Amino acid sequence: MMNTLLELSGVSVSFDGFRAINNLSFQIGEPELRAIIGPNGAGKTTFMDIITGKTRPDEGRVIFGEKSVSLLKMSESQIARSGIGRKFQKPTVFEAQTVRENLAMALSNPRGPFDVLLHRKTPTGAHRIEELAAEIGLIDHLTRRSGELSHGQKQWLEIGMLLAQDPRLLLVDEPAAGMTPAEREHTTDLLKRAAQTRAVVVVEHDMEFVRRLDCKVTVLHEGSVLAEGSLDHVTKNKDVIDVYLGR
Amino acid sequence: MLRALIIALALCLPVSVAHAQSTGQSPTEDLQTVLQRHADEVANPGRRSVGDLIADLVGSGQPNVATFLERWQDKGVYQRSTDGLFFYAKRQGDEYALTNMTTGEPAGSVPTDIMTEIRPNGGVRRVIGAALVQFQLSDPDRARRVAALDAISRSPDADQIEPLRDSIEGEGDPVLRLRKERLAGHLRARFGKSTDDRIGAINELSSALDVETRSVLNLILTTTSEVAASVPEGTNVARILGVGTDISEAEAYARLVSANLAPAPIPRDAIKAALTANITDGRVGGIPVGQLGSEASRTAAYDALAAAGTVPPSVTAEIRRAALASNIFYDAYTEKDAAVTDAARAALDEVEARVARYQIIDISMDALSLASIYFLAAIGLAITFGVMGVINMAHGEFIMMGAYTGYVVQLFIPDYTISLLVALPLAFAVTFGAGVAMERLVIRHLYHRPLETLLATFGISIALQQLAKNIFGTQARPLTSPGWLDGAWVINDVVQIANIRIAIFVLALIFLGLILFVLKRTRLGLEVRSVTQNPGMAASMGINPDRINMLTFGLGSGIAGIAGVAIGLYAKVTSEMGSDYIVQSFMTVVVGGVGNVWGTLAGASLIGGLQKGIEFFNPSNTLAAQTYMILFIILFIQFRPKGIVALKGRAAGD
Amino acid sequence: MTQGFLSKNPSVLWFLAALGLFTLCVTVLSETAGVGLLSTSFIKTLGKTLCLCLIAVAMDVVWGYCGILSLGHFAFFGIGGYAIGMWLMYARTEIIVIRSLNSAAIPPTPEEITDAVGQQIFGVVGATDFPWLWAFSDSLFLQLLMVVLVPGLLALAFGWLAFRSRVTGVYLSILTQAMTLALSLYLFQNDSGLRGNNGLSGLQNIPGFEKTPQAVISLWFFWASALALGLGYVLFAWVVSGKMGSVIRGIRDNESRVRFLGYHVETYKLFVFTLTAIVSGIAGALYYPQAGIINPAEVAPIASIYLAVWVAIGGRGRLYGAILGAAVVSLLSSWFTGGGAPNIPLGFYTIQWTDWWLVLLGFSFVAVTLFFPKGIGGLFDLVVRKGDQK
Repeated sequence: MMNTLLELSGVSVSFDGFRAINNLSFQIGEPELRAIIGPNGAGKTTFMDIITGKTRPDEGRVIFGEKSVSLLKMSESQIARSGIGRKFQKPTVFEAQTVRENLAMALSNPRGPFDVLLHRKTPTGAHRIEELAAEIGLIDHLTRRSGELSHGQKQWLEIGMLLAQDPRLLLVDEPAAGMTPAEREHTTDLLKRAAQTRAVVVVEHDMEFVRRLDCKVTVLHEGSVLAEGSLDHVTKNKDVIDVYLGR
Repeated sequence: MLRALIIALALCLPVSVAHAQSTGQSPTEDLQTVLQRHADEVANPGRRSVGDLIADLVGSGQPNVATFLERWQDKGVYQRSTDGLFFYAKRQGDEYALTNMTTGEPAGSVPTDIMTEIRPNGGVRRVIGAALVQFQLSDPDRARRVAALDAISRSPDADQIEPLRDSIEGEGDPVLRLRKERLAGHLRARFGKSTDDRIGAINELSSALDVETRSVLNLILTTTSEVAASVPEGTNVARILGVGTDISEAEAYARLVSANLAPAPIPRDAIKAALTANITDGRVGGIPVGQLGSEASRTAAYDALAAAGTVPPSVTAEIRRAALASNIFYDAYTEKDAAVTDAARAALDEVEARVARYQIIDISMDALSLASIYFLAAIGLAITFGVMGVINMAHGEFIMMGAYTGYVVQLFIPDYTISLLVALPLAFAVTFGAGVAMERLVIRHLYHRPLETLLATFGISIALQQLAKNIFGTQARPLTSPGWLDGAWVINDVVQIANIRIAIFVLALIFLGLILFVLKRTRLGLEVRSVTQNPGMAASMGINPDRINMLTFGLGSGIAGIAGVAIGLYAKVTSEMGSDYIVQSFMTVVVGGVGNVWGTLAGASLIGGLQKGIEFFNPSNTLAAQTYMILFIILFIQFRPKGIVALKGRAAGD
Repeated sequence: MTQGFLSKNPSVLWFLAALGLFTLCVTVLSETAGVGLLSTSFIKTLGKTLCLCLIAVAMDVVWGYCGILSLGHFAFFGIGGYAIGMWLMYARTEIIVIRSLNSAAIPPTPEEITDAVGQQIFGVVGATDFPWLWAFSDSLFLQLLMVVLVPGLLALAFGWLAFRSRVTGVYLSILTQAMTLALSLYLFQNDSGLRGNNGLSGLQNIPGFEKTPQAVISLWFFWASALALGLGYVLFAWVVSGKMGSVIRGIRDNESRVRFLGYHVETYKLFVFTLTAIVSGIAGALYYPQAGIINPAEVAPIASIYLAVWVAIGGRGRLYGAILGAAVVSLLSSWFTGGGAPNIPLGFYTIQWTDWWLVLLGFSFVAVTLFFPKGIGGLFDLVVRKGDQK
């Protein structure tokens, strides 16, 4: 039995009367790969917003790590520093900066302004950057501006930045959107490899991609968990078929 | 003595005047005859003795007595030395043109040397004046009655109580009657015969509200600053002052000095002068001059001089302390009767409490009209900001364009009402056009770059401002409001609202309704709201966002033009007027919350109310009021970063 | 460390060389050096322009690099000017007062001197006592400390409040503008303790150097301004290079992404905002002794907006662009408004540049925003890139 890394229990949040998340409970262990699926408006993005501190829930608990720290009191950057990385749906890399700069910014070094101001490049750091670049397949593009990269490469760069943070929990929002089949395969490998040492949560629409991830699946609907289990298991669930797949 | 006489005289006056006027019977004696009987007194009136003459004159019931008294008071009466007769005379060259007193007809001209001008002294003139008041208060001419009342309020006097009170009965004009009653109350409160009479009058005053009543009560409560070893018997003490708490030590000592109860302190300059005057052999009082560069050594030198008797002794701290301790500092009422002052105090408190209540209403009205102006100025900005996410720094210049449009219209249409009716739609059209042009030429290219839009529109703003300066000059241009907007709606002495402000309030209401109607009930509004919420979706449903943006921007600018006309009506039109309103408008939008008409309304109300509120507590300093208001807004934003009416969730767009 | 930094950023060396050469040329051509080609007032104008370039660089860092369009940096500039102005005015008045009091038979007491100085300085606003604001005005050291501390602390407090509540974008711009407006309204009051709209004057006279001609003093200040600009440029070039620059530009481009990388964005913004405010204060402290007078109008919000205009015209996100913009626009502005530009007769109307300069500036600013979003500095890039392609 693996340890529980993140646990949400009884979380609810509403915007102007609309319940985006409704008494949601969720856990993930370490290491684990988990896919989250659900129709539009099921609360997938809000779920991630709550974990990363962007949205404060109206009620419920969010607990992280062995020491069972509550994430609700922490700021976004504190949550990120305590080991939760997030990849947005749209690739958000710093397009005006080079691939190396992007990765360097994400490396898990002290984050205070004076640490950063007085930061000196170290051989270990350079080595780590190259390692990461090799992993995401951008070793030949380190000096390019990341704005010049292709869509898929940007996605990988962003995953690389997440890995550079050395997080214990990785939240990935639709990593395969807009990718060619070859790119998808690479992405699948990346995520699976990453999930060997840490917890990875993937939100995805694409069933084929989810199938290839070959992991436990959580189905969200109207802000709460509808079903959980292997993909085959949940696709046989009648409720799931009704609300999501059946349509 | 004199007072009693005058009162007696005054008592018999109304009877005789009424008699003469009502019966119209021809009197037995004419004016000249009466005057001749008192010829010496007329020619040489004395303050004490003139009473008899006046009583006789009034008793004669002659209609022209009042005229005589006036001319007499104005030194217009002359005595002919040849026969001792009295005439009105006017100097014409070397001669006097005479007028017969009884008939009022010319009585020929005589050389100057045979006429003696009669000059009643000041005391006599006052007595004459008091007698005249009676005539004037009952004068058939309303204007003269008003003048008499004005004269009484200017210099009220105990003698006026009776004539005033007696004239109330016959007063036909309700306004004047009210005023007479009020004035009589004031006089009684101040000069009433007995304490009870005065207290009664004072108690009646406590239901009033007007400035005059308040000043009457304040006059009764006038205090003087006193100091004495002990409070003298019979003093009506307002309060005893504690040195160091109610009154500073320096102030207290200054009182002692001016009451000759303590020696005056010797100022630094005087000490220096005394020391300078007494330098002997480079020393003063044994201290070398070079060492006198400190207060301590100067005091030592001075004391040495004082000990030698060369200069008056200085006031040491002990002397000061002793003098302060052995005296009582107090404020004393000039009114000796404590019962009266107590009643006046109670009445004044009551009046002031009522005034304060009305003042709150008055300030709320002021705040409301200010809020209307801010609303008008800001709503256009709020629309463009809310719908398009565009900050238009040239919004203030659109306000200015509207105001100048109004000014130009007035140059062509002299009738202010018609020109205003033309100017409002024209200003809308002009600024609508300018807004659309700006959107097409500049802003369209800068969507999704809000900071750059801000700067580009700022460039337009400085260019437009300078253009206006080049065209219309730097001096302020008037935008005259029609006559029917000039007055004020007077509710009572405290609450009154200028008509123009009411008009602006109504205008703001109309626009609030109009904008709500356009946004909620028309096709355009529907499209605008859909573009605001989801431009992509709106576009895919066949709404042309370009057109919507253009119209929205035009609408926002057009309302700025209307606001410009409204603001121009009560403020001067200058090329810089826009920049006076732009920051306030931004504040209104930001405080209220973006993208919501009600938010703008709330923001305008908050800012208008706040500004008036701060001004109320610190009326002398509008600059400080604005400073505090901005600081408040900066703090407010800390707690409600999205404004009063904040959108939540996905609509907030973060 | 600095050596490594300079060797990696050759453009900084180029800039320093150009600045040094410029300073040398101006010195040689000045009256003091004997050539006299440049008048004292022109040297003052150049010195002032260098100070404006310094605040423009600061503005570029806070806006061009960190994405905070501050419309309040000229307020910090003004505060720096007021801080040094207080000492200049106090010290000079004190010297005059002591001289006149010394003619009396008895030496003056300290109280007498303070009173007379207060009378001299505040008589114009109907007061004689020293307000608390002037508590340190007799000490050059403390007032110099104020030049740094007051803008720094104000920026720190304001920035902390604003960034903490996540006020960003145009909201932040408007809030900074409100701050500037509040400050200038405060200064306009007669009882502000800073002489209301009279401002502080006579600042060109440096206490203790009464005998030194203005020609020499102006050159000193010119040198000091050049030195400050050089140091400021190096400082900011260092800040925006390397990892710090990376994070700051990241904040400009995508604030929340930086936050999810674990950086406390607010602290970084606060750091940049405060640092640039301090440099602005120093620039102001060097500017106003050359201008000779400071009054509340200098601090009005419009000045800060002009600052943004310079940086935008010069080119955001590159330090030399800000310097270019500030120098070109402010010098052009004084050429046009000073009557230097020839009027254009159109027959029916004569364009007088004193009236039309602002119209031209306004519209050219719109044109720059629309067509050259990278400003003058961007034109350089075009040239350089074309050269590369050949």
